[in-house]
Amino acid sequence: MPNRRILIILGVILVALAVMCAGIGAAVLFFSASAGVFTSQVPAVVQPQTAPPNTQPNQPQAPNVTPAKPQPTRPAQGGAPAPSGGVSGILTIPGGEPPTLDPALAQDSTSAAYIVELYSGLVTLDQNLDIVPDLATKWEISDDGKTYTFHLRDAKFSNGKVVNADAFKYAIERACDAATASVVADSYLGDIVGARSKLRGQTKDVSGVKVVDDKTLQITIDAPKAYFLAKLTYPTAFALDRQSVESGGKTWASNPKSAIGSGAFKLAKYDLGQSIVLQRNDQYYGTPKPTLNEVHYMLSGGSTMTRYQTGELDATPVGLNDIDAVLDTNNPLNKELHAVEPTMSLFYVGFDVKKPPFDDINVRQAFNYAIDKQKILDVVLHKTQLPAKGILPPGMPGYNPNLDPYPFDVSKAKQLLAKSKYAGKMPDITISVSGAGGTAAGSVEAIVEMYKQNLGVDVQIEQLEWATYLNDLKGHRFQMFGVTAGWIADYPDPQDFLDILFHSGSRDNNFNYANSQVDQLLEQARVERDQNKRYDLYHKAEQMILQDAPIVPLGHDVEYWLVKPYVQNMPFPPMIIPKLKFVTVAK
Amino acid sequence: MFAFLIKRLLWLPILLNAVGIITFALGLYGPGDPVEVMLGPRSNPEAVARVRRELGLDRPFFEQYVLYVDRALHGDFGESLKYRGQPVGELITKRLWVSLQLNLASLALGMALGIPLGILAAVRHNSWMDFLIVAVLVAIISLPSFTITPILSYIFAVQLKVLPAGGWEGLLSKKAILPVIILSVGPAAVFMRQTRASMLEVLGQDYVRTARAKGLSSRVVLMEHAFRNALIPLSTIFGLILAGSVTGSFVVENLLAIPGIGALGVDSLFSRDYPVIIALTLIIASSYVLANTLIDLTYQYLDPRIRIH
Amino acid sequence: MGLRRSRTLEFLGHFSQNPLAVIGLGLVLMMVLAGIFAPVLAPYSFRAQDLNAVNQAPTWAHPLGTDQLGRDQFSRIIWGARTALIVAPATVAISLLLGVIFGALAGYFGGWVDALVMRLADIMFAFPGILLALFLAATLTPRVDNWLKSVGLGDFVKTGYASFLVVTMVLGLVGWPGLARLVRGQVLVIKEEPYIEAARAVGLTPGRLLWHYLVPNALPPVIVTLSFGLGGAIVAEATLSFFGIGIQPPAASWGRMIIDNYTLWRTYPLLVWIPGIIVGAIQASFSFIGDGLNDALNPRIGR
Repeated sequence: MPNRRILIILGVILVALAVMCAGIGAAVLFFSASAGVFTSQVPAVVQPQTAPPNTQPNQPQAPNVTPAKPQPTRPAQGGAPAPSGGVSGILTIPGGEPPTLDPALAQDSTSAAYIVELYSGLVTLDQNLDIVPDLATKWEISDDGKTYTFHLRDAKFSNGKVVNADAFKYAIERACDAATASVVADSYLGDIVGARSKLRGQTKDVSGVKVVDDKTLQITIDAPKAYFLAKLTYPTAFALDRQSVESGGKTWASNPKSAIGSGAFKLAKYDLGQSIVLQRNDQYYGTPKPTLNEVHYMLSGGSTMTRYQTGELDATPVGLNDIDAVLDTNNPLNKELHAVEPTMSLFYVGFDVKKPPFDDINVRQAFNYAIDKQKILDVVLHKTQLPAKGILPPGMPGYNPNLDPYPFDVSKAKQLLAKSKYAGKMPDITISVSGAGGTAAGSVEAIVEMYKQNLGVDVQIEQLEWATYLNDLKGHRFQMFGVTAGWIADYPDPQDFLDILFHSGSRDNNFNYANSQVDQLLEQARVERDQNKRYDLYHKAEQMILQDAPIVPLGHDVEYWLVKPYVQNMPFPPMIIPKLKFVTVAK
Repeated sequence: MFAFLIKRLLWLPILLNAVGIITFALGLYGPGDPVEVMLGPRSNPEAVARVRRELGLDRPFFEQYVLYVDRALHGDFGESLKYRGQPVGELITKRLWVSLQLNLASLALGMALGIPLGILAAVRHNSWMDFLIVAVLVAIISLPSFTITPILSYIFAVQLKVLPAGGWEGLLSKKAILPVIILSVGPAAVFMRQTRASMLEVLGQDYVRTARAKGLSSRVVLMEHAFRNALIPLSTIFGLILAGSVTGSFVVENLLAIPGIGALGVDSLFSRDYPVIIALTLIIASSYVLANTLIDLTYQYLDPRIRIH
Repeated sequence: MGLRRSRTLEFLGHFSQNPLAVIGLGLVLMMVLAGIFAPVLAPYSFRAQDLNAVNQAPTWAHPLGTDQLGRDQFSRIIWGARTALIVAPATVAISLLLGVIFGALAGYFGGWVDALVMRLADIMFAFPGILLALFLAATLTPRVDNWLKSVGLGDFVKTGYASFLVVTMVLGLVGWPGLARLVRGQVLVIKEEPYIEAARAVGLTPGRLLWHYLVPNALPPVIVTLSFGLGGAIVAEATLSFFGIGIQPPAASWGRMIIDNYTLWRTYPLLVWIPGIIVGAIQASFSFIGDGLNDALNPRIGR
């Protein structure tokens, strides 16, 4: 009897195995039969703010991609407003839920993308990221480089009121008012004389901002900082209509009645979690005049690729799932593909140079040589990043294309490691990464495995949830960190990378890196007024930093978009700039 | 009975306070800080301190708490820290309604499928029908939502293209079919299993045998004795499902792009949006208490042997 | 002795009559064996990558294909069994212990004990578990890691396997109230049964009464729930991974395998399906076993 029972059990186990194999086999068949079929849905897994990009990089070598060179701006038909007859004039695209639409509070790219269409400032960025006049037609800089005098153009808010110098004074003082609770006012406006004391509640107004007359505004800063103008392109300093803001209460910026700006578009409808509708601002002063009647942002996310294919959306970013298919030239969608230039970002492995073993430069350099970046970016990140040879991204003014200090070289890496004082007695190493939101830890694991294979060094991975990661990062509690969270420039100036990350006195120098020569170069560059000399200084500093190797640069983000052929002139700049005014829809 | 009800309802504010205090404490002493998350990788301790002060996050624990309770009693649940300035109530209400519709529909579908199947399986105990029902339902519920959602979307939306791949246009649109089906599998299986198990137990009990022996028709036996008793553990399960359903659907909501409470909840955790987290916690807590009170009342109604205090 | 033996046989007889339970037992046994003999059974290491062979469909060399780092899925599934083998029972054991103790006490004594325990359970239940988990994981992890390193288990930490201690504690601490409620409900019903009243009349102490009569009789539905709990622990671990606080890489866990490959669910569905289906199969197996045990253990079920 017992024997029979055992036999039954064994038989059943065998059957179960067979069933499992059959099931998996069926799944395999199902999968391979369906390979090549292409439909799509962007996974809507919640991602923290600086989650790694899930879109495809600009591969200069990839023959099947037509990089969308920024088209020379073509003024719309003689500045005529809405084209009529057979043209819908409505653009429907996916968008993220903006944390805020208030220019003073915006600190993230999602919010900024809406705000630059709704509001405008003294200066703005063109498609080549050069600083160009916007509400100010021209400006003079005093001899000491500290006082800027802006001359305003004749312009109106969308409610018909005139944009005057007071509108700027109000906006700047509002952003610097403690009650506004802006987390970015210090970074963008803190250079203005009196801004910090206003932020601390010590003064009532910002003494560095003077209304000379209705059309003239004078701003004085604390030192001749060459990058100050670049900061004014950010929403924090955009003009506001005092009456509208004050009448709208706390949620003024998301209410079409009180969200009054001077941008090319105005807010028509904000349906929380569902959609945002922008309408052409007929009062807009700039060129080109927008031709779109309305722009509909769909906020619900989800299957944007499917909805693009069914024609519900006119454009969509390409998700990780679809990159390979879209890059295939046989795919009809390939013709609708547009590459975005690498964004102003850097992803890297950072070391704390005060903590062993990274207090030894040989170890840091060895860790630089030991990674095959190209392989990781190609295979694991599906080419969603362009390999970083230096620190500055390619679109950044002052970018040095001739850098490549650490090609993949295992034997050199081994030599350096053998030379280090930790040769043979490597302490424990932990790499801390932000791992929330189901974002691929793949690149981290690939890097760690390369260190093990190429250097024989074991690195432990510590994944932390985003808020905890930030807390520990700022508390300098990491030995080795980064990879999935990097650095993104807010304004196109090398200072926002080199100075902020690597000056020994900077708060964002999470590497504890200190080189007095580098500090000196960076300080010189801050106030150098000759752009070429300034970039030279940054070149030198960048080279020295790379030599000291407090980081292993990995890559710069690249995005891909699909755009319907009837949508024309959509720019894909590497930073957030007002761009909808260039777009025409001929459907 | 009334004494019980009053006792329970008096517990509610105490429970809500306990939950609120724990959440507040975790917010204050836990890892991560909402203002720091606002700033991202850029650090600016001065700005963080200033904004914390302005938002009242630096005040003593109990002061903050009392202030919150005071405002909440007046219907003001504060403003979101991530969606700056947005009143929490406004942020939550619409999404809550979406999630509620979705979960109630799934629960109804799950009950409608699960209870009859459970009775059927129990009555036909050890027949092929029993095995089939149990095997299929349990196999499906066992797939984690991380798996069943992509599998069903892949089959029905990507391959067969018969159902939309995501989005939300109300409960009565085609887009609601996939999420309701996915979410109903869990309740269906739980109801089926529990009904079946209790039915089997009850069917074996003496009084049912006696009733049968006395010649009562099997339907009367089922309805009068078995089904009623089988509901006792069921109501426990029902309550647990109800309480869990508010948060339980976040995976499905995320994947199928449904603007429900799950997505907001996860998002608020990542960004340490404590006003939203606390409001959600309080909603879950009260719905849980109410559901349980109902359950205990049903207990007594269904089985007078149980005394409730 | 003889009596006990025959009861065991009877139990086995009933159990083996239930084909689903036997299938489930078979699968779970396979998982247990795979977990124990993982180093022998797995053709590759759980962390060996081959970036020249990523996202491959199944071949003879890789029977379940490879993942996005070119790691052998089959080997990772087998190593994942070891992870599941540790996390799931340990988690359930913690929940069970707390749940049965609290539930039985509350149900038996009633009155203020009941009120206290159930209100505590209410609070735990009403409180979003993931929030507590985030807090616990962040505070516990560094301490556990340091402690393990100090007792010479550094390798355990480096491969990410130490994180299950934390995961287990977190899940166990968060998971008990459901069980407590269930046990209490059962005890409430059974307490009124004639044989218990008889036992009480005989003068058994509450402790003995609880342990010898109430708890065993309340167990069948608890077993049903536990069978779900074992599988549920595996899924819960995946959820923790989603938040970045689960089992740390490169350790292989089924939950992690699903989460890590999630972004590719449409183009390389097998990467999500295979670990997902395995988790499902194991969870179903535990449920079937639970049903089988329930039928076989419960004397009151009519046959």
